[in-house]
Amino acid sequence: MIVEDRVRVVIAEDSVLLREGLTRLLTDLGHDVVAGVGDADALVKTVGELADGGELPDVVVADVRMPPTHTDEGVRAAVRLRRDHPGLGVLVLSQYVEEQYATELLAGNTRGVGYLLKDRVAEVREFVDAVVRVARGGTALDPEVVAQLLGRSRKQDVVAALTPREREVLGLMAEGRTNSAIARALVVSDGAVEKHVSNIFLKLGLSPSDADHRRVLAVLTYLRS
Amino acid sequence: MTVSTTRTPSGAQDCEERLPPARLAYDATTWKEVAYLLLNLPVGLAGFLYVAVWLAMGAALSVTVVGLPLLAVGLSGTRLLGRAERARARWLLGVRIEEPSLPPRQLRRPGFFGWLWPALKDPVAWRTALYGFTRLPWALLTFAIVAVSFFVAWPVLGHIARGLAYVDRATVRGLLSPSSELERRIAELEEDRGVVVDTAAADLRRIERDLHDGAQARLVALAMGLGLAKEKLLKDPEAAAAMVDEAHGEVKLALQELRDLARGIHPAILTDRGLGPALSSVAGRCTVPVRVQVDLAERPAPAVEGIAYFTVSELLQNVSKHSGASTATVEVARSRHRLTLRVTDDGRGGARTGGGSGLAGLAERLRSVDGRFAVDSPPGGPTVITAEVPWRDRTAPRPGPA
Repeated sequence: MIVEDRVRVVIAEDSVLLREGLTRLLTDLGHDVVAGVGDADALVKTVGELADGGELPDVVVADVRMPPTHTDEGVRAAVRLRRDHPGLGVLVLSQYVEEQYATELLAGNTRGVGYLLKDRVAEVREFVDAVVRVARGGTALDPEVVAQLLGRSRKQDVVAALTPREREVLGLMAEGRTNSAIARALVVSDGAVEKHVSNIFLKLGLSPSDADHRRVLAVLTYLRS
Repeated sequence: MTVSTTRTPSGAQDCEERLPPARLAYDATTWKEVAYLLLNLPVGLAGFLYVAVWLAMGAALSVTVVGLPLLAVGLSGTRLLGRAERARARWLLGVRIEEPSLPPRQLRRPGFFGWLWPALKDPVAWRTALYGFTRLPWALLTFAIVAVSFFVAWPVLGHIARGLAYVDRATVRGLLSPSSELERRIAELEEDRGVVVDTAAADLRRIERDLHDGAQARLVALAMGLGLAKEKLLKDPEAAAAMVDEAHGEVKLALQELRDLARGIHPAILTDRGLGPALSSVAGRCTVPVRVQVDLAERPAPAVEGIAYFTVSELLQNVSKHSGASTATVEVARSRHRLTLRVTDDGRGGARTGGGSGLAGLAERLRSVDGRFAVDSPPGGPTVITAEVPWRDRTAPRPGPA
């Protein structure tokens, strides 16, 4: 499958149970977990040390809530890591999805960033796909965040003008999936997806964009404005 | 600061003409008292008129619609009279009196009658009205005595003023000071309310944390394990079976955690069977053998049961963790209006309610429901901890006023 290319992962999660579970899951599917830490400070330090040794990991998987304050240190560490190490992908996991956190993470740049509900790890393959996607500079947004954005968007009339199929494609696109991934998820041909995508861009009045993460940004900006 | 003062001619003049107060036969205190006593007449007259007119009108019209509101407004106005009188007494007699607190606003129901009733039974306002009413004869008397003495009994004016001012001091203290018992109670209740709110918020945070770190994390791990097993099912059935087995263990642990958490929020057995069985169940989970004796003819209100239950379970946890005891006893009994809880252990003793300890928190929470908490724990033991909670009957919807 996609797992041809190994990605190097750093995991930050305070629950030992989940940290070990994630490590096992990623290792099992052929990836490299180079470090596992229990709090945000250790995460920033570890990534800094790895980068200094010329071994910057491909992606960081971080819990939102970690010691010492158990609030949003994961998000803050993620924002900081993205600023300090532009090549690094950051995937944030959370027990609850808050659009606010997504907005902070996506501020200005959707390259190599993800925000998923913790429950998504249950779909092992999809989850690992998301990790790989973020590691390769793509985007992985939780369907719930996308649904919140779609539901709260002030462009309801335009969203309503989309066909149900186009809305589905829009949602998957906003999650950060590629055309072929969307085609697989909806069980249609790549060509059909391309047609839907260009229709969506036409209806939203956006200029079509080739790179997947840039088109996510376009869609999100459109929905948020 | 550097501006010279010599440029003001009047300043220099004052300096030259300033005379020692030798001419004054009495000191400032006496003169202030005399001034106070002389002022009694106009102030007393004004106060009397105000009180008499407002209250008489209000009372006379109380059969009509406007009567009671008029009375209420008049009563609220007497609070201003009280404040002015306290200020006068402070300046001239040196009597410092705390301002009484306002009528309890949070008890007010919305709407007109919600305002009217507390205003009408405001005890501070009624006492001030009484003060204003009784002032006039005394004011006339003091004014007359002081004014006459001023001319005919100069040498003893100081003594007369002092004597009369004593009466005034007593009156002001008696009628214009806040009712100390009531005020103390209000302050206490305000503090207690804060404790209750803080405790509730802390409990909610604790429950959320327990869920997040416990059952929720376990379920995520479980979902992850099952997802992985699903992946492996065809390629490596043996590994998949091991994973399913592990997941099975996880789900049992998650169930256990959820059960413990639910019990920590409110134990079902307490609702169903009352304190006796609930405390026996707590005692059964204690690491030390515990004898439980509950002597209650009837069950108290659910809130009282809850407080008693959580107090005893916290005390028994302490026994498990810190006491090193080999046996412990829990006794619960009712003495008229109080529910008494006593936890005794034969451990090493030395338990304290010092700041920050679990016992201090417990004592504070009990105090916030008008409970009492006593620790008798000499070094070497035994430890006897007694807690008391006001008894409330199960049918009584709310506690009556203290």
